[in-house]
Amino acid sequence: MKRSDGLRVAAASLIENPLRTFLTLLGIAMGVTAVIFVVSMIEGLNRYMGEKVAKVGSSSFTVQKYGILTSHTEYAEARRRNRGIRHEDAEAIRRFASDVERVGIQRGWGVSPKYGSRSVSDVQMLAQDYDAYLIESPDIAQGRGFSQGEVQRGALVCYLGWEVADKLFENRDPVGRKVRLWGRGFVVNGVAKKQGSILGHSQDNFVSIPLGAFEKIFGSRRSINLIVKAKDPLRMEEAVDEVRMVLRARRHLRWDEEDNFGVITPDSLMSFWRKLTQMIFSVALFVVGISLVVGGIVIMNIMLLTVVERTREIGVRKAIGARQKDIRFQFLAESVMLCAAGGVVGVGLGWLLAYLVRTITPLPAAFPLWAPILAVVVTSAVGIFFGLYPARTAADLNPIEALGREAC
Amino acid sequence: MNDILLDLKDIWKTYDLGATSVHALGGVSFEARRNEYIAIVGPSGSGKSTLMNLIGCLDTPTKGRYLLNGRPVSEMDDNELARARNEEIGFVFQTFNLLARQTAQRNVELPLVYSGMPRSERVERATEALEAVGLGDRRHHRPNELSGGQRQRVAIARALVTRPSLLLADEPTGNLDTEMGREILSLFDRLHEQGNTIILVTHNPDVAKHARRVVSLLDGRIESDTGNGARR
Repeated sequence: MKRSDGLRVAAASLIENPLRTFLTLLGIAMGVTAVIFVVSMIEGLNRYMGEKVAKVGSSSFTVQKYGILTSHTEYAEARRRNRGIRHEDAEAIRRFASDVERVGIQRGWGVSPKYGSRSVSDVQMLAQDYDAYLIESPDIAQGRGFSQGEVQRGALVCYLGWEVADKLFENRDPVGRKVRLWGRGFVVNGVAKKQGSILGHSQDNFVSIPLGAFEKIFGSRRSINLIVKAKDPLRMEEAVDEVRMVLRARRHLRWDEEDNFGVITPDSLMSFWRKLTQMIFSVALFVVGISLVVGGIVIMNIMLLTVVERTREIGVRKAIGARQKDIRFQFLAESVMLCAAGGVVGVGLGWLLAYLVRTITPLPAAFPLWAPILAVVVTSAVGIFFGLYPARTAADLNPIEALGREAC
Repeated sequence: MNDILLDLKDIWKTYDLGATSVHALGGVSFEARRNEYIAIVGPSGSGKSTLMNLIGCLDTPTKGRYLLNGRPVSEMDDNELARARNEEIGFVFQTFNLLARQTAQRNVELPLVYSGMPRSERVERATEALEAVGLGDRRHHRPNELSGGQRQRVAIARALVTRPSLLLADEPTGNLDTEMGREILSLFDRLHEQGNTIILVTHNPDVAKHARRVVSLLDGRIESDTGNGARR
């Protein structure tokens, strides 16, 4: 028998039993749907993170007391070893790091700004020096930001995030009015443009003040964060290395000691994120693996049932000249087609779900091309694996006994 | 002698049933020439089904030598047996054994599918075979749209489509009423006249009458053989 005829025979028997075929491939289809959907979600989250959170492609990075900490042990270790970042560190970087264009200093803090009797809690306070302000270069929608003089002398001025301005002032023009922080009045210079939210976290819930003003109130002994802009976005890594060398030298770290400060680059944020999603992904893959095995067992069961049900047909085929391998090929082809069809249906459903997510939410859910290809390859392999036993059973039937079963 | 199609010498078939063993065939020998029309008769349990399975290459003897068309069937493996069934034997069963979901045309094509014949040639040959049994206009009907006699004629067309050396029929009229049975038997007569070799297994003396030679089996042995009547 020719292979094409074998495939045709197998396809015909699947088409003749549409309900059985559908129910059989359902398990596989669901498994594949799940994996395609998970891959799409993770891919979508990765893109979202890359575009919005890590701002990949930007040329600045942060230096702070702690880096990205992923476990309690790491945290305990960092607590013990790490030293705060000081103004002198910034000075040293400015002096020695040639790939660095600008070093800004900033500090963050949670505050509750007040205006009259109104108050907004859980607002992010950002104290910036002039370099940090220039690196940040906020989009001011109303009024203005800071002047160099204001920042240098630590004037009690501020600009607000859109949400804070809206909550404190409602319809009034905030420019020129005074917001109270820690009991002191800060003149509102302007309001930043609305930025929306990332992963449900508002980007407009902040108040920025000059670093000098902050340190007048709280002193300058606390650890600061540095925001460093590389001269050339393509030489970001070199800039990061220079900064690390300068700080390590200042801290007299031996060559075999780890950094006792943290550098957070878009890349390190992304790789942290990817590590996280890989974990989610491998768990999801495991679950899907189980569902594929279950789906495969369902197919094996149905195929075994089919062999029993079609014993007489197998006998007839053998009597008129089908060889064992012809019968084996027919049943194997059936189970592979079932599985592959399940894979295709699953890819379709998964795509549909991803499309819905993409349309309804801001997440750009999409799967890479390898996902559907892999899905169909893997499900076909499942088909071969779980089809082998039923196919062998069918092929090994004795034609006399097979023909002996009562006819319908 | 090329004229001899079947040559069975001292054929034994023994079934091992654990403690005891049963001799379904105990030393059967006979020859059949081309274009013979033989009926194998005998009561149930006489071994005629076993003999038919052996002649039809569905099984191999425990002992003895069987040459079909000069080829030693007794020494064939499964693949060679399948090939022999495909090329040399045309089976006709009591219960027709058509594939229920396939049209008459597809059923008749099936042996040619297994011999690897290209599609277009297959369709042509199957059409010819169906026309030969008078079903040229029923080609695209499924078995359940055909009468019993028509179904058996489709089965006969399927048996003939490979142009086998031997047409082997097992109680071909057993599931048919008298009228249709007669119809099928006269078709066999015609096929015999056209030069086909036919072996018919039956327990019905009226059916056996159509054959030119009758071989009676009893308890796994040949009890009587009327000889090559057609060749007299």
